[in-house]
Amino acid sequence: MKKILIIEDIPDNAELARKMLLTGGYEVFHALDAESGLKMAQEIKPDLILLDLGLPDYDGQTLAGWLRANPETTHIPIVVCTAWPEETARAMADSYGCNGYIGKPLPKTTIFLSKLRSFLE
Amino acid sequence: MMSENTISLIPASEFSIDDLVAIYNRTRVDYLIPMPMNAARLEEYIHTYDVDLVHSLVASQDGSTLGVAMLGLRPGRAWITRLGVIPDTRRRGTGQALMNGLLEEADKTGVSLSMLEVIKNNTPAHQLFVKLGFYEIGELLILRRSPTAQPPEPIIAEAQRLGRNEALDLVGRDRGAQPWTNQSESLFNAGDVSGLRLMLPDGSEGWLVYQRQKFTLTRFVYKTENGDPVKMALAFLSHLHAQYPRLDTHLENIQVNDPHLPAFYQMGYVESFRRIEMWRGDPPGNLKTLFRSIT
Repeated sequence: MKKILIIEDIPDNAELARKMLLTGGYEVFHALDAESGLKMAQEIKPDLILLDLGLPDYDGQTLAGWLRANPETTHIPIVVCTAWPEETARAMADSYGCNGYIGKPLPKTTIFLSKLRSFLE
Repeated sequence: MMSENTISLIPASEFSIDDLVAIYNRTRVDYLIPMPMNAARLEEYIHTYDVDLVHSLVASQDGSTLGVAMLGLRPGRAWITRLGVIPDTRRRGTGQALMNGLLEEADKTGVSLSMLEVIKNNTPAHQLFVKLGFYEIGELLILRRSPTAQPPEPIIAEAQRLGRNEALDLVGRDRGAQPWTNQSESLFNAGDVSGLRLMLPDGSEGWLVYQRQKFTLTRFVYKTENGDPVKMALAFLSHLHAQYPRLDTHLENIQVNDPHLPAFYQMGYVESFRRIEMWRGDPPGNLKTLFRSIT
């Protein structure tokens, strides 16, 4: 079973993503901030990270930079998940070595899972 | 319909930091760029930016918290920041009540100038500020540089590393007309400040002062004393990023007409978003001559 780590500070948003991922048959983990997200990424070695850019301790860009700089996590696909304007979100995702972007509010389950699968292949 | 008069404004100093964090984060959940904080981050923010919680306000009504707004105070000037209203309590005049309350608090302290920044295209907030007498000063950039960017080769120059005291001597005390986050006090309050002074073979000279946090380079103040600003900025950025290749860089409130900007883009910086800086009132006498001088 593929493991997905959601790093998202708003529990309702994380719960929505978690429910959709469970229907897709994924094992889901959740971190509320960047520090715990980094720790969980190192411990769990997820197959994909869904990363919010607005986190309370360090922002998502900084965390993406750590994940990419760390040999243990550098290979893990990171998908930015944010309400930022699409052009800016894509520029940030590209600049920080992330693999893609999904806008908030999240799309319907089938579209969401289809997008994620494309990053897992 | 509830009126502004029924809203109570309570000094933020009556709340714990954890409470203020919780209120602030609730106000931001639906922002395009939410910028949430934890307690440590808010405490650092309060310290660095001279936020005065006695003059900052929490709005409530019938026992429910509606929003928060904070006031920074420095000689002759005030700064309005962290203004937010909890989404399901909006459209009751809370934002205006908080703003009126903060402006009264600022007046009590005798300042002649109130400053703020608003995220570009946040039309409702911008309209409120205009209604309250704020006028636009300029447009500001928030820039990022990822540590995944290619580390540059340092441009050949005579380089001198500067410790905190030497760096702060260069910053000086006269940056009161700059955006609040980049004023002298912000640098003096910040920890781990150091700098670089460079002289290029063609005689160009300049310096960069910065804060190095655990994972991030931030709070740049720089000056080209002699020569081309772009060339000088390329030199100091190349030295800085060669020295700290694994650190993220986050710069706030760089003026759009800053002549050094092309060098930032060449060094892999990308624009995150923009703010509009607004003032209300007049700068105190000692700041008038410094108005919008870019170092």
